[in-house]
Amino acid sequence: MPFSKLIGALTGAIVAIGAVVTAQNGLPAFRALMSDVAPPGIDTGVRGADAPREPRPYNYDRVSRSSSLPYLRGSIIVKFKPGTAMTSQRAMLARAGASTMGAPPYSDFEIVTIAATADPELAAQAFAAQPDVEYAQARYRMHPLFVPNDPLYSMQWNYPAIDMEHAWDVNPGASSSVIVAVLDSGVAFRNQVVRFNIPAWSLTDGTRFPALGPTDIPFAAAPDLGAADRFVSPRDFIWDDANPVDLDGHGTHVSGTIGQSTNNGIGVAGMAFNVRIMPVKVISSLWDDVFGSPFEGTDDVVARGVRYAVDNGARVLNMSIGRQGPPAPVVQDAIAYAVRNGAFVAVAAGNDFQVGNGVERLAEFAPQIQGMVAVGAIGRDRLRAYYSNSGPYIEIVAPGGNQRSGGTVGGILQQTYDFSGVDTYLNGAARYRAPRFDMFAYQFFQGTSMATPHVAGLAALLMQQGITSPAAIEAAIEGFATDLGPSGRDDQYGYGLINPRASLRGLGLAK
Amino acid sequence: MSRVQAYGAAVLALVLLTPTTSHAQGRGAYPPSGTTPQLTFRGFGDVGVTVFSARQSFRAILGRPAGPLFGGGLELGLPKHLFLSVGASRFRRTGHRVFAFQGKVFDLNEPATITVTPLEITAGYRYTGPAQPATRAVASARLIPYVGGGVGWHKYTETSAHSSDADDVHATFTGYQVVGGVEMPLQKWMALAAEAQFASVPNALGQDPNGVSSVFNEHDLGGFTVRVKVAVGR
Repeated sequence: MPFSKLIGALTGAIVAIGAVVTAQNGLPAFRALMSDVAPPGIDTGVRGADAPREPRPYNYDRVSRSSSLPYLRGSIIVKFKPGTAMTSQRAMLARAGASTMGAPPYSDFEIVTIAATADPELAAQAFAAQPDVEYAQARYRMHPLFVPNDPLYSMQWNYPAIDMEHAWDVNPGASSSVIVAVLDSGVAFRNQVVRFNIPAWSLTDGTRFPALGPTDIPFAAAPDLGAADRFVSPRDFIWDDANPVDLDGHGTHVSGTIGQSTNNGIGVAGMAFNVRIMPVKVISSLWDDVFGSPFEGTDDVVARGVRYAVDNGARVLNMSIGRQGPPAPVVQDAIAYAVRNGAFVAVAAGNDFQVGNGVERLAEFAPQIQGMVAVGAIGRDRLRAYYSNSGPYIEIVAPGGNQRSGGTVGGILQQTYDFSGVDTYLNGAARYRAPRFDMFAYQFFQGTSMATPHVAGLAALLMQQGITSPAAIEAAIEGFATDLGPSGRDDQYGYGLINPRASLRGLGLAK
Repeated sequence: MSRVQAYGAAVLALVLLTPTTSHAQGRGAYPPSGTTPQLTFRGFGDVGVTVFSARQSFRAILGRPAGPLFGGGLELGLPKHLFLSVGASRFRRTGHRVFAFQGKVFDLNEPATITVTPLEITAGYRYTGPAQPATRAVASARLIPYVGGGVGWHKYTETSAHSSDADDVHATFTGYQVVGGVEMPLQKWMALAAEAQFASVPNALGQDPNGVSSVFNEHDLGGFTVRVKVAVGR
């Protein structure tokens, strides 16, 4: 059913885009753009007095799902070796009782349907053992690596901590020729009204919320992120359209650290404040899940997002996302593709140090790819943040905040949603209402998610400064880092704290 | 006394002690000499081109490993065709700071100015050849070869945009040089010379990891210089 018909039936048609799509979970889902003319965002100020909240760990999931598994059932990711005949592929699939959904756009792999009751891990192992298969894996969900803790430049301790004021003397915020893709939960980048059909749902703690039915949800561009022309080639792989609005706040906060409008007399500053931002939504949030988004932020979705970003001109990719569990070859393949095609990739190292310090599956292959950097976090005290993962894959650290040692204001301040308008379920079912995404506040967040955009922003500055090779950018970031912890590279701080001014100045003749 | 200084002093002493023939005594050699040893005093100016030994480093920052230098000095003519000169020259060029990675150099468009100012003391011997007929003009057009060597103090300055005092380099390094050239008297009080010089200034570069010279493992600030000199005086 064409989506426009549906919208027409509901509203007399204002604006309609998209179509009803079949979701990863097999259920129909929809959303409709009702108007792209909406009031601007409301700025409710700094939320510095709110209590800190813990950074979001790997297994963070608030919505009650039919399955608590960290991956999807009913399908797996399979990449056949180049040159494998179609007949061989089909024969293999037939033997396994599987079928292919084909290769989705921006992929070099296929989504293979298996029985809903089959164990995707075992199925992937069986496929991976076939001689014609390069890799096979379950469709693991990715997660953003922080949590907003509810609460201007003087409050942004993170920039003086890395001497950004002097770095901006050398390179004042790069230029619009550099595109940074934010692969995240979306970005608050436009004013519009979108209609969602809100079903009944429940939290993992059992709290149940009633269905609200078709509801018009207001969205607004974050006032401090800048004009609409700052955003290029937006893409939503969760809703499968070109409208990657943020239903979480994470992606908007991350985008702020990368490129928040600076020296404009409003709010806060960003690292590379002249770049253009490419919002690529590859992570589904609580509200995406509640609204019935057709896709979730699984490995294959993230991999497609990576390829899309590079194919559409992004030269720096920020991935403040990750997961644990088994390896993610499909994402590793995509990131290698990105770097081969001239894009630098910054990936969060993970927030699970205190909950087992498990291997962060995106960050772990950073040492194998020159041009990809795994980023750990430090607090205002220049010590590793309590949550920041350690391990051989840690390559660099940047300010991510530590609110245990620094209080609420020990986090990283950026503009994102006022969560009083977003987290409308926190006051119980009786006071539950539809969320709104047009109210903004300056919030202190902590996490390796917050550290990563400092590195992505620096990479953008370096690209503008003249270092065009992703591998050389990594070398310039690591080579000029300020050594922290034990002398030389170590598992807590990698090569140390980024030193943007030194990286941007590079090498003289003698000094 | 450093090794380089000792080496320079040895070269200087060796040149000064070199036995000379008597062919030039009072027979119209240039500089003119009489029946008794006399001292002559000249001033000179020169212009030349230096190819630095640290070729990769200079090419990375300045776009080429060579550049012009201008100088001048004083020369004292001693008995037995020996001479002692004190000269200063200056090389100055502006390029860009860079980043070097796996053999590729990325221009960071951050202006950097390199100034090298050597102050060199050179002792040498001027071969005037067989005695000339007394009737000939003193300033004949024949060529007079000379060689020499000595010690030099090379003031190195590196400044760049957006730098602080801690980023800039202001240092002086000691080195040595050997020279050879030919001189052609033009007039009684003026001569033109073409000179080649090799200077070595060890351990001046490549000491700081923030220098491209350390990346290329180049440590010597010296180089090969050819110059043209004009000397005036007697």
